Amino acid sequence: MDLAFSKEENDFRDEVRTWLAENAPTERRPRFGTAMREFDLAWQRKQYEAGWAGIAWPVEYGGRGLSLTQQLIWYEEYAKLGMREIDARFVGLAHAGPTLMTRATPEQQAAHLPPILRGDVVWCQGFSEPAAGSDLASLRTRAVVDGDELVISGQKIWTSFAAIADWQELLVRTNTEVPKHKGITWVICDMHSPGIDVRPIKTMDGAEDFAEVFYDEVRVPLSNVVGGINNGWGVAMATLMFERGTAFTVQQVQLSSMVERLIDLARTTTNGRGRPMLDDEGLARSLARARADVAALRALTYVGISRNAHRDMPGPEGSMLKLQWAELHVQVQRLAIEILGPRSLALTPDAAGVWSEEYLASHADKIAGGTSEIQRNIIAERVLGLPR
Amino acid sequence: MELIASPEQDEIASSSASFLASTLPLPRTRELIGEPSNVDTSAWSKAAELGWFGLALPESRGGVGFGLADEAVLFREVGRSLAAGPFLSTVLGARVASFAGDGALAAEIIAGRRVGLGIPARDSVTADESVRGELQLLDAVDASLVLVALPHEAHLVAVDTLGTVTPVPCVDDTSRLAHATITGLAPVATVTADVDPVERRGNVLAAALLTGIAEATRDIAAEHAKSRVQFDRPIGVHQAVKHPCADMAVRAELSWAQTLFGAVAIDEDRDDAELQALSAKVVAADAAEHNAAATVQVLGGIGYTFEHDAHLYVKRAHVLGRVFGETRDGLSRLLLLPKAE
Repeated sequence: MDLAFSKEENDFRDEVRTWLAENAPTERRPRFGTAMREFDLAWQRKQYEAGWAGIAWPVEYGGRGLSLTQQLIWYEEYAKLGMREIDARFVGLAHAGPTLMTRATPEQQAAHLPPILRGDVVWCQGFSEPAAGSDLASLRTRAVVDGDELVISGQKIWTSFAAIADWQELLVRTNTEVPKHKGITWVICDMHSPGIDVRPIKTMDGAEDFAEVFYDEVRVPLSNVVGGINNGWGVAMATLMFERGTAFTVQQVQLSSMVERLIDLARTTTNGRGRPMLDDEGLARSLARARADVAALRALTYVGISRNAHRDMPGPEGSMLKLQWAELHVQVQRLAIEILGPRSLALTPDAAGVWSEEYLASHADKIAGGTSEIQRNIIAERVLGLPR
Repeated sequence: MELIASPEQDEIASSSASFLASTLPLPRTRELIGEPSNVDTSAWSKAAELGWFGLALPESRGGVGFGLADEAVLFREVGRSLAAGPFLSTVLGARVASFAGDGALAAEIIAGRRVGLGIPARDSVTADESVRGELQLLDAVDASLVLVALPHEAHLVAVDTLGTVTPVPCVDDTSRLAHATITGLAPVATVTADVDPVERRGNVLAAALLTGIAEATRDIAAEHAKSRVQFDRPIGVHQAVKHPCADMAVRAELSWAQTLFGAVAIDEDRDDAELQALSAKVVAADAAEHNAAATVQVLGGIGYTFEHDAHLYVKRAHVLGRVFGETRDGLSRLLLLPKAE
C-alpha cells in the first residue's frame, strides 16, 4: 500500500501542471447554447491536439493508454485550477465512451470514439422518461424494427445538453411482451435525425441546458444498436457504473478546494462584532468536519481507483462515492450560505453571487445520475445483499 | 499510489481473524464481564508470541518491522472481534519505551507486559501539555504502567506514582476503568512527536478498531434485515430499514479508506499526516458510534437486551471515541493545520 507517486507519475504531474497553467481557458465559460458548446469543444480540441485527451483510454481507441493513476493526476491538477466539472463533454467522455469501449462493435468504436476525444461531438443521455425515473426499466419509448432500421417514437426527459448534442445514448423498448428489464435496447441516436424535437426546460438555477426530447418515428439504423436488441438493460447498467465509478474524481477534488475556500471565507468574513466568522465554534466545527469528510471521500476515491486497476469495470460501490459526494456537496453549499448571511441573497456576478448560484445548482446533485434514495437501494441490495 | 490491501495484508487480516475467533471469541470475552480483569491472559500471551505488540517496530528494536498500515489491518480485526484488553496502549507503550531508549522495557512490553491507557480529563491538560487533575485509567487493572499520549509528547507512567487509584464501573462491560487525581506526571519514559508521533499513530489505530466495530455492526444489522420477517416479508425490503443499512455501509467504507490513508500518510511521513490521522479518527468514531446505534434500532427489542451483543459494540465505540481526544478536540486541531497535500 502506498500513497506515493512514482518518479514517472510525478514528472507527469509537472508536465500536466505546466501545460494547464499555460493553456487552460481563463475567460468565463458561457452558460448557455451554442456559445457554451463551442467553448467546451474548443477546450477538448486543445487538449486533444496537445495529447491530453483520453489519458487512460486504450491506444486503439485514440487514447494514450496510460494508467488510471495518471488520469487521476490529470483530474486533480485540472480541478485545482478551479475548472468546472467536465461540462457538456461529460456524457461522451465519462458515459458513452467507456460504455462503447466495453460493449460496442469495432465498427461502432471506430466511428464514435475518436470524435469524442477530438472534441468534434457532444453526446447526451436519453434514459429518464416522464413515467420512468427511478424505475428506469419501466421506460416506454417504443422502437420497432422496420427493415434494417429501428423506428422510434416516444419521449425522454431531464436530458442535459440535448439542444447542443450530436449523439445520444438512448434507451428504447423493443419488446413489450417480456419482463420490463428484458425488452430494452441501448442505441446510438443521431440527434440531427428528422422527427426529433428538443424543448428546453429552465431549471431552478436559471440554466436552460436541460430539456425534454420528443421522438416522432425517428429512424435509426440497426447497426447503431449496442450490445444487441433487447440486451440494453445490461449495457445501461454498465453506463451507470461508469458514471458512478470513475467520473467523480473532478467533483471530489473540487469539493476539497471548495471547503478550503470556505475556510478562508470564514476567516475573512466578519460577524456583527467585527470578529471573524471562524471564531463561531459551531461553524468552525462544521468546517473542520467538512475537511475530514472530504479527506475520507478522497481516500475512498483512491481505493476505488486502486480496485479498478485490477478489474474491467467499476463495482456498485461507486454508488457510495456518488451518494456521499452529493450529500457532502449540499452540506458544504449550505455552509457557504451560513457564512455569507444576507449577502447570499444577491445573484451578483461576484464571489458571493457564485456561491449562491452554486448553492441553487447543488439541489440537482442528490437527484441527477440516480437519486440518493436509489443509490441507497443499490448499496443495500448489491453490496449488502438485502432483499428487493 | 495503491490504497488496497496487498496479499500479505490480506493474510495478516485472515490469520488474525481466525486467531481471534478460536482463541478469544466474543463468548469468552463475555465470560470475563464482572471479573476484576477483562484480560484472558493465555490469549494475551499467545498474541505476544505472534508479535502483535511489536508488529510495526523495526526489527532492530525487537519488532516485526511492518508498517502502520499493516498494524491497522490487524487492529481492524481486533475491533471487529471486540477482544478485550489494552491492545492499543500496549502497542504504543512499546514504541515509547523503545524510542525513549529503554530497550529492556520495550522488550518486556513486546513480550506481553501490559500497558494501560491514561485518559486525562478535559481540564487536566494545559496548553503546554502538562497534566494535573483527574486521570482516567483504561484497562490498567494488572498493569504497572500506563500510556499518556498527547499531541506533542507521549509518556509511560508508573501506576504507583499516581497516588490512590480507585476502580470505578466502566460504561463498557468489556473494558475496565479506574480514577486517579494527580498533581503532575513523573514519566519513566517520554517521546516527543518529532521522534515518533505516538499519539498520531494512536489515532489511526483507534480508527482501525472503530472501523472494525462499524463493519461488524453493519453486518449484524444487514443479516437481521434479511432474516427477520414481519408482515410476511423480510424487514429489509422496507426503505426505512434498508436505507439506514446502506448508510452504515457507506460510513464503514469511508472509515476504512481514511484509516488506510492516515496510516500510509504516517508510514510515508507526509506533511499532512496529522490531518489525515485526525480525519481518520473523526470519521471512524462517527461511523462506529452511528453504526452501533443504528444496529440496535434495526434489531428492535432484542437489540436493547443484555443478551444480544449489540450493546457491547455501542459501549466499546463510546470508549474508543474518547481516547486521544474526542471528536470536538480532533476537529479543533484539524482546522488549525495546513490543508491536505
